[in-house]
Amino acid sequence: MTVYEADLPGVGKKFEVELEGESRLVIVIHNTGKRELFIRPEEGADSEKLFELSDRLARQVGTIMEGAYFQPIRTETIDTVLADDTLIEWAKVQSGSSLAGKTLAEARLRQELGVSVIAIQRGEETLTNPGAETEIHAGDTLVVLGSQAACRELDSVVGEDAGIDG
Amino acid sequence: MAEGTALLEAGAMFAALALAGAGARRLGVSVIPLYVVAGILGNEYVAGAAGLPAIRDGEFVTVVAELGIVFLLFFLGLEFSIDRLLEGRDRMTRAGLLDLGVNFPVGVAIGFLVGWSPIEAFVLGGVVYISSSAVITKSLIDLGWIANAESEPMLGTLVFEDLAIALYLAVLSAVVLGGGDLASAATNVGVAMGFLLVLVAGVAKGEVLFERYLRVDSNELFVIRAVAVTTLVAGAALALGVSEAVAAFFIGMGFSSTDHVEKLERLLVPLRDTFAAVFFFWIGLTTDPRLVAGTVGLLAVAVVATTPTKLLTGYLTGARIYGLDARRSTRVACGMVTRGEFSLIIAALVGGAASPVLSETIPAFAVGYVLVMSILGTLLMQSADALARFAPGS
Repeated sequence: MTVYEADLPGVGKKFEVELEGESRLVIVIHNTGKRELFIRPEEGADSEKLFELSDRLARQVGTIMEGAYFQPIRTETIDTVLADDTLIEWAKVQSGSSLAGKTLAEARLRQELGVSVIAIQRGEETLTNPGAETEIHAGDTLVVLGSQAACRELDSVVGEDAGIDG
Repeated sequence: MAEGTALLEAGAMFAALALAGAGARRLGVSVIPLYVVAGILGNEYVAGAAGLPAIRDGEFVTVVAELGIVFLLFFLGLEFSIDRLLEGRDRMTRAGLLDLGVNFPVGVAIGFLVGWSPIEAFVLGGVVYISSSAVITKSLIDLGWIANAESEPMLGTLVFEDLAIALYLAVLSAVVLGGGDLASAATNVGVAMGFLLVLVAGVAKGEVLFERYLRVDSNELFVIRAVAVTTLVAGAALALGVSEAVAAFFIGMGFSSTDHVEKLERLLVPLRDTFAAVFFFWIGLTTDPRLVAGTVGLLAVAVVATTPTKLLTGYLTGARIYGLDARRSTRVACGMVTRGEFSLIIAALVGGAASPVLSETIPAFAVGYVLVMSILGTLLMQSADALARFAPGS
């Protein structure tokens, strides 16, 4: 696969990505941040516009295309990759989870899994930087910081009938 | 009149611009001619003559219009990093020289034909030579041609033209604003060149300074700083008899190699568009339609003579220099016909000159010419594919 890059003075940059056969995907990145996508079915044909995206949306779509979310995302978790292996994850505590009713100190998440709870979303409210005595309720969403592996393990802990020991 | 009326006038002006913009969108033409028309309709010669409240060519409008010129050229400079210029410069230069070598002399020839002086003919050459980057680039995006092969020769030619016009404005402002005799003209050219040399040296050596100047963690301060340096340098240039547009061009160029380009574009484009709209409105405001009507003969000659030459050079650029097929070359040809903001900037620059041809005829001519050519150019671009059947080799 070859990518051709060209300057469009006054507009931005153009990238052409070779697809199967003669067809090419043409991406125009405007200086304003807007992205326009075109497909050119064959050499010499006109480019047909597919769609356009704002800068922000293009970045989000790009992350998905890149495969940053390799595993299908479960509805109750969202990741944000910080650097290398560290990510911020949102994990919802199910009503049957053994974490429900424990304080953060009792839950021993940092010691057992290596994840730090940096915030708890409870309904409309967000408790930032919760202390050791903060109690976890069923239905809370824990915002945690940790390695990818640790965050995956956390997923099993917040589920029903699950605890660190179980 | 009471103190509050200046604000009311500004409001009326922006309302007229908004209406003109809506009209342009509905008609599918460029906004530039309609902004100019809005200015003409609201000025003392039209609205005033009809007994309606006219918008005066006051200090506020003039200064904002000047800011429009300054920011148009600032953004032009922003596009010119040296690296970009060196990329693909061979074809760009050949295309640009072909365009310049045919279209500029045609304008000069028309000037001599109607018995004008060399300077006046030189100005007319500039007005008919320069295509409109703003309108053409926007049409390229609207028609979806931007992703096709024809966008490269068009944008390449525009880049060459933009550089040529920066140089042209520098010379022209020194000669025209310098007054009549050769000695003072030469002195002015000297002062102008000196100022520009200092500016260019600053731009070439001052990359770190430009970089640091805008490194600030606040959008507000960022915008203020960018506006401050651009306006200040442009103003100083004007005070020294150097074109403010050219000074702004170099400031833009200074920032073009820094990391701030994207942010400048994102934050200052709305400012540029607002100021530029006022500039086009101001052009209309200072135009007496009767003067435009008086140039109708010249206008007809210019339209008939300079449309085919642009079509020819555009076609040859596409077919010969960039190796495109007949259909794409026809698109290039049709795309280059539109004239716009730079023709008006040239006309605005010579508006203060002593000769009546420079101060009245050429500005009036330029308005009529831009109105015709921007609408004709847009129509040609829309029907380029139909016209391609008549192109040689198709």
